[in-house]
Amino acid sequence: MPKIETTESLFFGLLGKTLTDDQLEMVLPRAKAELDGHDTKEKMLKLELNDTNRPDLWSAAGLARQLRTYEKGNPVLYDFFSTADESFETGNRELICHKEAKAVRPYSIGFAATGCKVTEDILLALIQSQEKLCFNFGRKRRTIAMGIYRSDLIHYPVHYTGADPDKTSFVPLGMDEKLTLRQMIEKHPKGIEYGHIVADKPVFPYLHDDEGEPLSFPPVINSARIGAVKVGDEDLFVEISGTRLKDLLLCASIMSCDMADLGFTILPLKVKFEEETEFGKEIVVPYYYQSPISCTKAQLAKVSGLELSDDEITASLARMGLHAFVDGETVYATVPEYRDDFLHAVDLIEDVIIGHGLGNYTPQMPTDFTIGRLSKTEELARKAKNIMVGLGFQEMIYNYLGSKKEYIDRMNITDKDAIYIANPMSENYEMVRPSIIPCLLESESVSGHATYPHSIFEVGKIAYLCPDTNSGTVTRNSLGFFSSNSRIGFNEASSYVNTLMYFLKKDYKLAELEGDNRFIPGRCAAIQIDGKTIGCFGEIHPAVLVNWGCNMPSIACEIDLDCLL
Amino acid sequence: MSIDVKNLHPLEVKLLRHVCLNEDITTDRIVKELGYKVGQCNQAFSWLSGRGCLKETKREKKTIYEITDIGRQQEKNGTPIERIFLLLKVEKSLLLPEIASKLELEQSEVGSAFGQLSKSKAAQMDSEKHASLVPGAVLPQEAAVTAELLKKAAASEDGCLSDSDLSQEEKEAIAKNSKKRGASGSPFKASEREDIFYALTEIGDETRQEILKANITGEELGELTPQIISSGEWKTSSFRPYSVNAPVSKLVPGRLNPYGEYLQWVKDKLCSLGFEEFDGPLVENEFWNGDALFMPQFHSARDIHDVYRLKNPSHCKTIEEPWLDNVARTHKNGGDTQSRGWQYDFDEEFTRRQVLRSQGTVLSAHQLTHAKVPGKYFGIARCFRYDEVDATHGADFYQTEGIVLGKDVNLRTLLGLLKMFATEIAGAEEVKYVPGYFPFTEPSIEVHIKHPVLGWFELGGSGIFRPEVTKPLGIDVPVLAWGLGIDRMALMHLGINDLRELFSPNIDNVRTRRGN
Repeated sequence: MPKIETTESLFFGLLGKTLTDDQLEMVLPRAKAELDGHDTKEKMLKLELNDTNRPDLWSAAGLARQLRTYEKGNPVLYDFFSTADESFETGNRELICHKEAKAVRPYSIGFAATGCKVTEDILLALIQSQEKLCFNFGRKRRTIAMGIYRSDLIHYPVHYTGADPDKTSFVPLGMDEKLTLRQMIEKHPKGIEYGHIVADKPVFPYLHDDEGEPLSFPPVINSARIGAVKVGDEDLFVEISGTRLKDLLLCASIMSCDMADLGFTILPLKVKFEEETEFGKEIVVPYYYQSPISCTKAQLAKVSGLELSDDEITASLARMGLHAFVDGETVYATVPEYRDDFLHAVDLIEDVIIGHGLGNYTPQMPTDFTIGRLSKTEELARKAKNIMVGLGFQEMIYNYLGSKKEYIDRMNITDKDAIYIANPMSENYEMVRPSIIPCLLESESVSGHATYPHSIFEVGKIAYLCPDTNSGTVTRNSLGFFSSNSRIGFNEASSYVNTLMYFLKKDYKLAELEGDNRFIPGRCAAIQIDGKTIGCFGEIHPAVLVNWGCNMPSIACEIDLDCLL
Repeated sequence: MSIDVKNLHPLEVKLLRHVCLNEDITTDRIVKELGYKVGQCNQAFSWLSGRGCLKETKREKKTIYEITDIGRQQEKNGTPIERIFLLLKVEKSLLLPEIASKLELEQSEVGSAFGQLSKSKAAQMDSEKHASLVPGAVLPQEAAVTAELLKKAAASEDGCLSDSDLSQEEKEAIAKNSKKRGASGSPFKASEREDIFYALTEIGDETRQEILKANITGEELGELTPQIISSGEWKTSSFRPYSVNAPVSKLVPGRLNPYGEYLQWVKDKLCSLGFEEFDGPLVENEFWNGDALFMPQFHSARDIHDVYRLKNPSHCKTIEEPWLDNVARTHKNGGDTQSRGWQYDFDEEFTRRQVLRSQGTVLSAHQLTHAKVPGKYFGIARCFRYDEVDATHGADFYQTEGIVLGKDVNLRTLLGLLKMFATEIAGAEEVKYVPGYFPFTEPSIEVHIKHPVLGWFELGGSGIFRPEVTKPLGIDVPVLAWGLGIDRMALMHLGINDLRELFSPNIDNVRTRRGN
């Protein structure tokens, strides 16, 4: 979930009033947000945004807009958006997207802003918006990267192109020396972090102005001159590059609305593409591309369980920032410029519900009659557990992930059937357990102080490779038990198995078990039903006990419960 | 004072019954009169003093003479003086070495014994060193007394004589024949002892009266044995009542794991509310783990579930049709769901990538392909997340999830369902609903409850499955989906605050842990 920090003054200024923490907690759910912390000393608010499909809320300005709109019931109007039918004049403020960039990162768009001096609060807000949008919405800059520049230093038009990484060079932000683009991804901290996005491409993205002054190497780093925005600047240029034009336009819309809310005048910019796009070869940004959305009143009533009047519906949507009208049985709504999260009628319906207020929907008990039932597996598991408890065993519950050291090496077995994790967080959790027995031995190894005998068991899942299945693996429900004491051995283990199988009503035979290094040879057995092996037990081999740091004679058994169903 | 006379040991009872106020109570007396062993006697004194029934009145020092091995030999064969005296009576005149060899005594012993005989004028020695008795001599009185003392000591139970029991003459005799240290050559070993005198206290006397009143004799039966039952002894005896508050020994029973018991309770509760249990494998693929739940393959919503991938096999062989085609089309352009879809090229290689189940909702997606209408299903599923393990994050953990299918279920029935969970499973006092966000439900609702102990917290997430989830999997009715965060309640139930403890391998921890 995205989290943002903002100063009290900026947020409450945007909201138009100051709220207490309690009041904030009352209203934040309207934007699916939560108060994550309030540092009263530093006067900072920490806010968590739960809707990962609403990047417009991941900024102080965006969140405040939603809350303000909800309160007032009037959508905010922005007058700087061009559409397919009507474009603003931009003069020479243009960005030319050259076809050379297509091989590496096809699109770049942008807009300019002026009329507001950048303060520390604003700088912090802009940097945060940039980070949230590029990191969370732009998948760590893979699909969206944003740069903010000093527009007053730029000679328009700006050019976005693919450049030779070894022949193009400039002084990147945060450094003093000129580096080639390739050197930047090797040496600059941002290059090391994000360089991999373009590293294997023949050309690297490059943004420069009409006189050849560098702006940036998207998505990695700005230049040290035009790309260095600081407190006191007043003329800004925002540029967004990436892979999906629609996502970039939404980002530009969000940023421009936020900046307008912060007091900037937005100056549109014409983007010219050398090749055709889904929006043509020329777009004036910010650009409104969303289509209207609709649902029927019947759909609304069916999903929400409540019939609302036409006025209630339109008022609810207005609180969510949507202009709407009802025509007969259908609700039509205009999607706000900064949102693009309406995929289906249900998305509109949810906005009606939140706009109307969840508290106005009284709970109703479901009336359908259905039969409750445990799974067969659970029923058998409980039977087996009850018998084990009667035999004096303590039930354990273990984690299913562990290390090769525990599951394989200490057990003196091979890992040929083990399921390894490709991206383990640590070697402590690198594979799924193929058996319960190592878990039971772990207990023994950490419980030397506990009164003997140590009689423990678990009913749980194990998983291992099995080439015949679709996944090449199989998950089984398994019973494992273990007992250690100064006088325990094969005979006791066999008695436990006998009692268990008697009460589970299973006729079984024992067969000699060979080549299982976990047990002492000649003191272990395979449990068979109708000739099929369903488990095994025996005296744990001293070599295994020593591997676990144990010195008490021990027996263990494991039975595949799914075979007994 | 309140001594429960039933708590008294038979040794205490018999002693109390036997003594009266203002009497001296000593070990010697009790040993003699009640036949206690010294150890039993000391035990009874110690217990009764502890209870305030006895008090110490004084201590007296005394010397105890214990007969040695030499002493016992002499008692049997006679002391060297006696023997020399008798020998000389028969042989009349002998050289000292001759006496030594005839009596098999050391020269020094003979010398010292003869010295005593001649000192008491019973024997003499001539100029040729022949020893003989003085005519008419009798055994010296002291030697006779010593012989008597040896007999007395040997006859006593512990081989001891106390100076308090001896006459002045005896005291003098025994002092000469004893040593405190290195007494192996002497017939007696002397040691200092202290006699402790006790007396009955007021409390002791009251207790004694109660014992008498309750007719407790100290002869009651203790442990009931098969012998007592078959002999009929129980008919004529009474049973010693036991102290019900005596300390007990700890037992180690076979037991269910308390966390497992809690999960069982939740399962039973859900069954009672009409839900049927489902289950599934630990290894899943991106298709069921995310795609079927309408989480776009490229979208940041996918970052919510950072998953563990399988090293080998990295991909499953196939995804079942028609689900694959339905889901792929829905992602691409909405398919038959009246959604615009996510508008991207669905990656059919990526969708087969295998992962460890990261959310219980996977099981709900599977269930949709063969669910009944109306239907209610639940599962408590082990899930895996790529997370640092700490007090609030496990490498693997349980999620409790479920679905409700019905022609007429809607937001309000969802709220009703959540309310039912809040009351029935969480014991909530108040319930609050707030809008939530999940990629696979719209609308989405979080339910917060006010718990009597924990206060306000989020009990779970829920919503109505998006049509983009249900339609491609063949379901045309609305489906309520819910998940409950029961771990929080499990921790409270078990009185712990670290999620890792739920899966503790430590046997002692698990043996002693109990639920509320």
